[in-house]
Amino acid sequence: MSQSLTSYLFISAALFSIGLFGVLTRRNLVAMLISLELILNSVSISFMAFNRFVFADKSLGQVFVIFIIALAAAEVSIALSLILWLHRKKGSIDIEKAKDLRG
Amino acid sequence: MNDLNLLWIIQLAPLVAFLLIQLLPKNAKRTAPLIAMGAALLAALSSLALFYAHRDGNNMPQQYIYQWLKVSDKSLWPFVTIDHYVLNIGFLVDKLNLLMITVVTVIAFFVHLFSYYYMAEDKSRARYFGFLSFFAFSMTGLVLSTNLLQTFLFWELVGLTSYLLIGFWYEKQSASTAARKAFVINRLADLGFYLGIVVLFILTGTLNFTDLNHEFLRQMLPASTLTIIGILIFMGVMGKSAQFPFHVWLPDAMEGPTPVSALIHSATMVAAGVFLLARAFGLFSSSEITLLFILIIGTLTALVGASLATIQRDIKKILAYSTVSQLGLMVMAIGAGSAAAGMFHLTTHAFFKSLLFLTSGAFIHHFHSNDIWEIGQRGGKRDKVAVAALCLGLFSLCGIFPFAGFFSKDLILEVLREHNLFFYIAAILVSFLTVYYSFRMLFVILFSKEKKDMHAHETALAHPHHSSTGAIELCRVIPLASLAIISVVMGFLGTGWLDSRLLLWLGGEETHVNSELLITTLILIVSGALLAYIFFKNPETAETRLTQSRGPIKTILERKFFIDDVYEFLTKKVGMGIAGAFAWFDRKIAKELMVNGTAYRILDLGKISSKIQDGLLQDYLSWAVGVGILVAFWLVKSNSGIF
Repeated sequence: MSQSLTSYLFISAALFSIGLFGVLTRRNLVAMLISLELILNSVSISFMAFNRFVFADKSLGQVFVIFIIALAAAEVSIALSLILWLHRKKGSIDIEKAKDLRG
Repeated sequence: MNDLNLLWIIQLAPLVAFLLIQLLPKNAKRTAPLIAMGAALLAALSSLALFYAHRDGNNMPQQYIYQWLKVSDKSLWPFVTIDHYVLNIGFLVDKLNLLMITVVTVIAFFVHLFSYYYMAEDKSRARYFGFLSFFAFSMTGLVLSTNLLQTFLFWELVGLTSYLLIGFWYEKQSASTAARKAFVINRLADLGFYLGIVVLFILTGTLNFTDLNHEFLRQMLPASTLTIIGILIFMGVMGKSAQFPFHVWLPDAMEGPTPVSALIHSATMVAAGVFLLARAFGLFSSSEITLLFILIIGTLTALVGASLATIQRDIKKILAYSTVSQLGLMVMAIGAGSAAAGMFHLTTHAFFKSLLFLTSGAFIHHFHSNDIWEIGQRGGKRDKVAVAALCLGLFSLCGIFPFAGFFSKDLILEVLREHNLFFYIAAILVSFLTVYYSFRMLFVILFSKEKKDMHAHETALAHPHHSSTGAIELCRVIPLASLAIISVVMGFLGTGWLDSRLLLWLGGEETHVNSELLITTLILIVSGALLAYIFFKNPETAETRLTQSRGPIKTILERKFFIDDVYEFLTKKVGMGIAGAFAWFDRKIAKELMVNGTAYRILDLGKISSKIQDGLLQDYLSWAVGVGILVAFWLVKSNSGIF
């Protein structure tokens, strides 16, 4: 069990679910951002696991994960700047305050 | 020169003149009358040459045909058994065409000449002569065409030129209104004409005049269909030839320049309807009911026109109503089955009525008034040439013995007497009224006392040109004299003294002197003239008596049998009512319910669905995740069948 694809995928799925739950339930934008990072990490884990157990080329999955980490860093910087701007504008980072574009 | 070249010259010379006049630079516009007159002379000489070349009447009819369209698709008209639909254009030359084209081009030439005198001071002379040339082109095209559709095209073109020339002085409100009235009434009538052509073409596959004869039509079509087609096409004639109840446009058309009235609204264009009746006589005469309808309409027209002419004061209006009633007589003759009598009267009438109109033009131009009383008071009788021409024209119109109208009108009376006594009596009544209004007009102009001072004053002020002799005076006298001579000669051509040449030419029978008819017409003329003399031997007292008297007959005549009122009621009340209903439908149903309604309902739907877009990021995410899960399930299921 400990050294099989399934256990890694379980961890990945658990992490993804926790992240998804956080994104959908937390009203605090920073907390949502953290949950988003969890989702990204779960994807990284599943990439690594598939690379380890299924795929022949040993480096492709790792390259993907490095890209994901770089992408996550860039995304966080943009998201944090947006959150900062929203805080200046509304005085709060509650996501329910930011609904000006409703129909 | 062969026939075809002559035909092309007759057809195209006026068109070339029209185009040249349009293209003239501003400073050369004064040459426009010369160009138009040259073209008219060329066309007149060519048609005379053509007539002379065919004077024996052999080898007729000749056709010069160019195929225009050919359709062989049977699926177009599923109920019809015609294999090929062929439309031609081209020239048809037969006796009828030759006579008509000669009448048209000769009168057109004299009217061009007279116009040079009449329009000498008009600023828009170039426009006038351009339109006149264009009319000559359209009219020759109408006369020479080989089939009904070609006739219809030129028919519309003469309608257009008529409109343009009635409204020539368009800055006058009455002129532009009259032009519009003529145009609208003619279009209404032409709708029937066009429908008739379409039905005839679909059912028989041919519109050529040479094909429209009894045997062919009766073999192809049942009698009821022939009646309907005949009456539909006759509707076009009713519009163009001012037949009851479409006659109301013709008196108003007198707003145009007088030479135009002479050419278009008395001699040629309005006679085109009668010409068409004779041209397609095979079609009309293949149904008895159509002929009866034509006869009734002609009778009504003749009676209405003649009775209205008796109370007019305006010299041109008298002549216009007289034209209406004479056209009615021609139509009666054709309705009674004698196309030759109708065409004979058309020919003589064309000459003497254009003569009368040109004479009235001379009076109007000279005395600056249309009113016969004023013309008389300003010294109308001192214009010897005009008075002589007037007498000759009026005697001809009345049918006094040696003049043209005598022969042609008596022929019509004779035809009607043999056909039906009722219509004969109606024609007698029309003739009596004709004599009465003719002599009324003559006596008022001759017997009015001159008011010297007023006339002298006006002459000095307004007519500097009257001292001018030479070319312009010639342009006044030559047309009057020539038309007078022609209209005398024309009458004799239809009589036994000259072997009834014109009548035999038209396919009629040789005339013989009918003493009973002679006595009838003599009594008519004497009694009509006497009546007019008793009433109008002293025009001044007659005028005061007329203005004071009141009575139902006078009211009816002054209101023109209420026909204009009926039209006004039809357009203003009925027409506007229907238009209002349609406008309501358009505004309420089409616009609000259908167009805007659809848009608003869709807008409402949008409002409902826009509630989903609530601005909350996490709701959107939930939707995305939910749909994503569904898609994932569906993909996995369809690919592997695990679930």
